[in-house]
Amino acid sequence: MIKINNLSKYFDRLCAVDAVDLHVNNEIFGLLGPNGAGKSTIVRILVTLLRPTKGTASICGFDIAKKPKKVRNVISYVPQEMALDTRLTGKENVLLYAKLYGIPDRINKVNEVLELMDLTDRCDDLIKTYSGGMRRRLELAQALVHEPKVLFLDEPTLGLDVSARRRIWNHILSLRKHDITIFMTTHYMEEADEYCDRVAIIDKGRITALGTPQELKNSLEISEPTLNDVFMDKITTREDECAFDSFKFRTMLRRRS
Amino acid sequence: MNAVWYYFERDFIKWTRWKVNIFAALVTPAAWLIFVGLTLPVTFTDNYLEYLTPGIMVMSVLFASFQSGNLVIFDKVLGFLNKFFALPPQRESYLLGKILFISFRGLMQASVIFCVAVLFGITVYSLSSILLTFFILFIFGALFASIATTIALAVDDHDGYAAINAMITMPLFFASTALMPYEDMPQWLRTIASINPVSLAIDNARVLLGGGDPLVGQIIMLTAAAVVILVICIYVFRRATL
Repeated sequence: MIKINNLSKYFDRLCAVDAVDLHVNNEIFGLLGPNGAGKSTIVRILVTLLRPTKGTASICGFDIAKKPKKVRNVISYVPQEMALDTRLTGKENVLLYAKLYGIPDRINKVNEVLELMDLTDRCDDLIKTYSGGMRRRLELAQALVHEPKVLFLDEPTLGLDVSARRRIWNHILSLRKHDITIFMTTHYMEEADEYCDRVAIIDKGRITALGTPQELKNSLEISEPTLNDVFMDKITTREDECAFDSFKFRTMLRRRS
Repeated sequence: MNAVWYYFERDFIKWTRWKVNIFAALVTPAAWLIFVGLTLPVTFTDNYLEYLTPGIMVMSVLFASFQSGNLVIFDKVLGFLNKFFALPPQRESYLLGKILFISFRGLMQASVIFCVAVLFGITVYSLSSILLTFFILFIFGALFASIATTIALAVDDHDGYAAINAMITMPLFFASTALMPYEDMPQWLRTIASINPVSLAIDNARVLLGGGDPLVGQIIMLTAAAVVILVICIYVFRRATL
């Protein structure tokens, strides 16, 4: 579904993504790494918001640089910021995307995705009154309205409490029944371990580990390894050197209310 | 092209749901007319209100257009642009939707000023000259809305944008025929004012609302400028990365 070949991205001299090769099949794929490792940059290149400096990538056979419009037709992207119009109702927020995607029978489709995300009974309320988890579910509804083949989720559970996180994950898992490939980034190793089919760990723009969570854990020679141990083992960037992602921090604080 | 309308609709609903927004947008320009138009002791005309009204109408469109760059900054900072630019519709439909909404909002303000001015007793000549004035205001608004949205696309924060906004709009306004005619300006200012797009719009509005014939050459210049700027802005939006 997603093929990344020798992909690099430089911001001036800074190398954010360094010759990455990655193939993602029809699965739930998790990209893990410290802040500033290049996770979001890779996602933004794949969803056609950034152009790669070198290398190529394709989604469902469409080259992201040469056929961006075809790519945008088969993907959905939910960035980490949680961008919803708080003065519009839940239904209006989803309807906007149905219109922009040019969905033919949009009223029914909007109702269907709202139902899928358990939001039907609150869909006529303004977003102002929604909890963080509900907002995230509404964003998933927006992303699903045009039946994408690949869904990109940047930190889908950031800043949510355990019950909201679990609920989001159950919804994400249920999407596998609709045959949707899911490419996500996360900071929560436990979640990646539990829900992802395969994960890659990225450090300083390079993939340092790739495999099923079980394979990665087995590669460590310690008793009862966790994905957190794998992470610590594969990451050479010290915490002090990591970027501070003010966007992410603000998003987290916002979502708690 | 439907997407242009959907983006417009989004901004419009958001705007109308915040009643204070509408009220404030309509009161501010009226204050100009009342506190400046009715009070300033000028000698070059005995009806300053009639002289000033077209200037204030153009000023409102200018300020409204430039201020609206903040809409783009909000969309950018809050992550909306990330989502919109990864959608299938051409990216310029977002730009055009914004321009449409911003110009529309500016025209709403201009109409209120015009109505207030009529209440205060300025002479109304013909409907066609009023309509043509609003057409020119729309072209003018679209010109500055394109510039504002494209600058906003490159700026990250509201404070920075406010500074740029003031830096551009204030000189444009004062170096125009909004407050005084060419004849009463010092020579150096007259030269600047005569090529200022703000003057081009004001001169036309003033002639038309005063019952005269349109200054066709100036309308063509203004339209040409709007088209050129719009094409550049579309190019910038298509190439934009986030």
